Amino acid sequence: MKRRTVIAGLGCVALSGIGRARAQSEPPKPRQIVVNASGGAMATALRKAYFDSFEKEYGIRIVDTSPTDFGKLRAMVESGNVEWTVTELGGQDAIRVARMGLVEKIDPKIVDRSGFPEQARSETVYTSSLYSTVLAYRTDVFKPGSHPKSWAEFWDVKKFPGARSLRNHPVDNLEFALLADGVPLDKIYPIDMDRAFKKLDEIKPHVTVWWTTGAQPAQLLVDKEVVLATGWNGRFYDVIKKGAPIAIEWNGGSIKEGTFAIPKGAKDAYWGQKLLAWMSDPKRQAVYATELGYPGPHLETTKYVDPKVAPQMPNYPENLKKQFWNNKQWWDENGEKAAERWNQWLLKK
Amino acid sequence: MTEAVATLPLAAGDRVRRRHARSVLGALALSTPALVLLLVFFALPLLRLFWLSVDAGTFLPYEKALTERLYLTVFWETFKIAAAVTVLTLLLGYPVAYFLATTTRLWQFVGFAFVMLPFWTSILVRTYAWMVLLGRNGVVNRTLLDLGLITEPLPLLHNFTGVLIGMVHVLLPYMIFPIYNAMRKVDADLVRAAEGLGAPGYAVFRRIYLPLTMEGVLAGTTLVFILSLGFFITPALLGGGRVAMIAVIIEQQVREFLNWGFAGALSVVLLASTLVVYGLVHRLLRPRFAEGVR
Amino acid sequence: MSRGRSAGTDLALRNVTKRYGAVSALTDVSLAVEAGELLTILGPSGSGKTTLLKVVAGFELPEAGIVMLGGSDVTERPPAARNIGMVFQNYALFPHMTVRENVAFPLEMRRVPRRLIEEKVARALALVELTGYEARLPTQLSGGQQQRVALARAIVFDPILLLLDEPFGALDRKLREQMQLEVRRLQRQLGLTTLFITHDQEEALVLSDRIAVMSHGRIEQIGAPDEIYERPANGFVADFVGESNVIAGRAAARKDGLVEIELEDGARICVAGDRIPDAGAEVRVLVRPERLELASDGAAINRVAGTVVETVYLGTSYKYRLRVPGGREWLVRRPVRAGEAPLAPGDSVAVGFAPGDAHLIAG
Repeated sequence: MKRRTVIAGLGCVALSGIGRARAQSEPPKPRQIVVNASGGAMATALRKAYFDSFEKEYGIRIVDTSPTDFGKLRAMVESGNVEWTVTELGGQDAIRVARMGLVEKIDPKIVDRSGFPEQARSETVYTSSLYSTVLAYRTDVFKPGSHPKSWAEFWDVKKFPGARSLRNHPVDNLEFALLADGVPLDKIYPIDMDRAFKKLDEIKPHVTVWWTTGAQPAQLLVDKEVVLATGWNGRFYDVIKKGAPIAIEWNGGSIKEGTFAIPKGAKDAYWGQKLLAWMSDPKRQAVYATELGYPGPHLETTKYVDPKVAPQMPNYPENLKKQFWNNKQWWDENGEKAAERWNQWLLKK
Repeated sequence: MTEAVATLPLAAGDRVRRRHARSVLGALALSTPALVLLLVFFALPLLRLFWLSVDAGTFLPYEKALTERLYLTVFWETFKIAAAVTVLTLLLGYPVAYFLATTTRLWQFVGFAFVMLPFWTSILVRTYAWMVLLGRNGVVNRTLLDLGLITEPLPLLHNFTGVLIGMVHVLLPYMIFPIYNAMRKVDADLVRAAEGLGAPGYAVFRRIYLPLTMEGVLAGTTLVFILSLGFFITPALLGGGRVAMIAVIIEQQVREFLNWGFAGALSVVLLASTLVVYGLVHRLLRPRFAEGVR
Repeated sequence: MSRGRSAGTDLALRNVTKRYGAVSALTDVSLAVEAGELLTILGPSGSGKTTLLKVVAGFELPEAGIVMLGGSDVTERPPAARNIGMVFQNYALFPHMTVRENVAFPLEMRRVPRRLIEEKVARALALVELTGYEARLPTQLSGGQQQRVALARAIVFDPILLLLDEPFGALDRKLREQMQLEVRRLQRQLGLTTLFITHDQEEALVLSDRIAVMSHGRIEQIGAPDEIYERPANGFVADFVGESNVIAGRAAARKDGLVEIELEDGARICVAGDRIPDAGAEVRVLVRPERLELASDGAAINRVAGTVVETVYLGTSYKYRLRVPGGREWLVRRPVRAGEAPLAPGDSVAVGFAPGDAHLIAG
């Protein structure tokens, strides 16, 4: 027993010796770091695209845990006992964690994000992937080319009749309403809620389903419950791959980011930064994108994926310029008010 | 007890009292695990919930919950759905329970299998199954269209009807089992006696069978009503977003806005109004003989 | 509640047959209960008496035969339309109703005016001596009180027939005897035509005007209690009602209204008989234990020598088991008399009976 401890200790010394030999300024290498994320299919993709190669490169084992939990993150930081080196953040938490000072800044000297779109270069969180809320339609009802190509046309029930589905949440919908009302892409924020809700009044009678889970809109289109729907691109991509008569219109799509961050006070934060740097490589992001359907933000990612798949990605250059970046800051400040008003609006007969 | 003790010599009285005390202690010791469990998993979270709702030192969350039109409407809608689901499960469940309680063993087995089936299936699967059945192009509508019974698909999904169907299906076993249990306890001779005394079928049911199974009805309705109030996934998926349930709002407050105080207040209001409804229903329906037994 | 109905037949069963699958529960049963009469159906469990009760009450439909009640055919009529007052084995009081509500129930079902209901309920409860218990629930009553409520409920609506289904089974002995007398008093007082179902022969003898003994779905014998006891129609009745000594033999000769019977071992006994069997016919002779006389009693034609095997003290009498010739055993019952020492096992004693104390039944 005693002997084995000694040997392990020696191993440690040897490893850190190698580390020091390579870069004098680096802090000592830990034996392992903990990365917390959503789990499931994503854990597999992360491991395949980033973790395995990182472990091999640096000799640091990555322990992955799940799920993401804002409450736990806050408790960890507040108690000073931070288990996670890096953690994924829930959709609406990216701004909140920065405001509440729960995360370390991303170190630009370690993590090079020059290839990222500027919207994906936050000081405090690392954008690991992109997804977009887009318009999808049934190709057997609207021939591609003569399908609704904008939110204004989505709103046009005379020219494009049929049942529609929107998310039961104000996020994206307020933006889409403004776009339908003629507001240009770069003038959406700050959102004029009165104007948005007034425009939403018009479409309300034609929305048969206000969806709540990500799987719903694709299924509703497949079942022909509706002919037009909004939804997350990956979900549509999934059924399109399987041959469903469904297509995506990227125009006016609302881009959002999947984000990672380093909790404040995390042990081995330096190696956390190193992992994020590892993840910012476009080739590795392409592996991740092929695996999961959600690409990393690096603008060159789409070059490294199958050219047939690339146009289905939100950061495919053609697609990217037609969309807008959902403003997390605005939603962090106004989300609760908007949700309350949304609930009230939906209940109104 | 008191009389007996009074006539006993003092020492014996002491002994009786001591023995009594010991049995009380014994009972307490036996029920300690259950009490601890209740305390840890029920009483404490409830207290914490209440504490959260007044954490800011004000009753503002309550003021908001009880005065804002949105929340009052949602409460009202939630109770309305719960009541409708309860009534429907009762109307469907009572005859099913009667069938199960009176049929042959084979049919009982088959019947129970059908009743239990939704129990063994995850709520999501059940809900999606209903979506497949009830949709505009679902099995039900397509069959009716093919038979020429309707010319337009019926709106069975993404509305109040859909929520009712889905919730009734999920909750039916909770109604059937207590009623079945009460029915099994009804002495067949009581029904015969009533018939023999000149009661026609409906009078036997109304005056004898129904009151005797009322305890089961009461348990079933209470269970279904309270479970309905907290329903979440089914209304969200089958209601198409049009059916508002308070649980959805509470969840949103917690998950999305970390608004524990307000979520706590909504929960406490829900709990309080549930207790009020529960009390009223029990006062109304509680069978008299159940008190007489004690 | 007073009857004033003219004499006649209130209940009649004609050739009633009821089967459960392959099992025949009632076979060609015919029976008549006269107005004001208490007729007991006596039989062991499985004899068909409960089925008979269910057919009369209307809970079961017979395959064949008819049931007449108060002069009309009710075979197919539902129980509710038969106007029969029934007291169940476990009383079947409605547990959620008070005593008053229980007793008022049949009247309410008959849409009797409210005021009249109050009156009738009060009178019925007075009859069973339960005035003052109106507001109690059945669970708050003793077994005897519950039975009284059941009785009041069964008679309050002036039924054509009162059906009693083993109503005393659940009571302890003392209370049972008291209730038996009370039921008898009420039945006589009100002139209630009553069909009483029991397996207890003692109870049947005490209560009945007539008894019908049932076995295997058939009525073996109908008659007054003393008739059933003294002159059982067959071995089953003899055996089921009271204790008896049965002696098998062959009719040998007749003289002076007596029949001489030859036993297997050649001994001969004399029995008085109204039905004289043919010579050579197989017969059985029945002698009740209390009719057997010990030698000291004097007169004894049919006398044998026996040895006491067992002596049982029964309070008012001694019961002896004697071994008699031919390897048989006889039971003898003797009243306890002051100054008379009981026989002890091993004692030899002469035992016999007068020809008139024996009863001849067909083999």
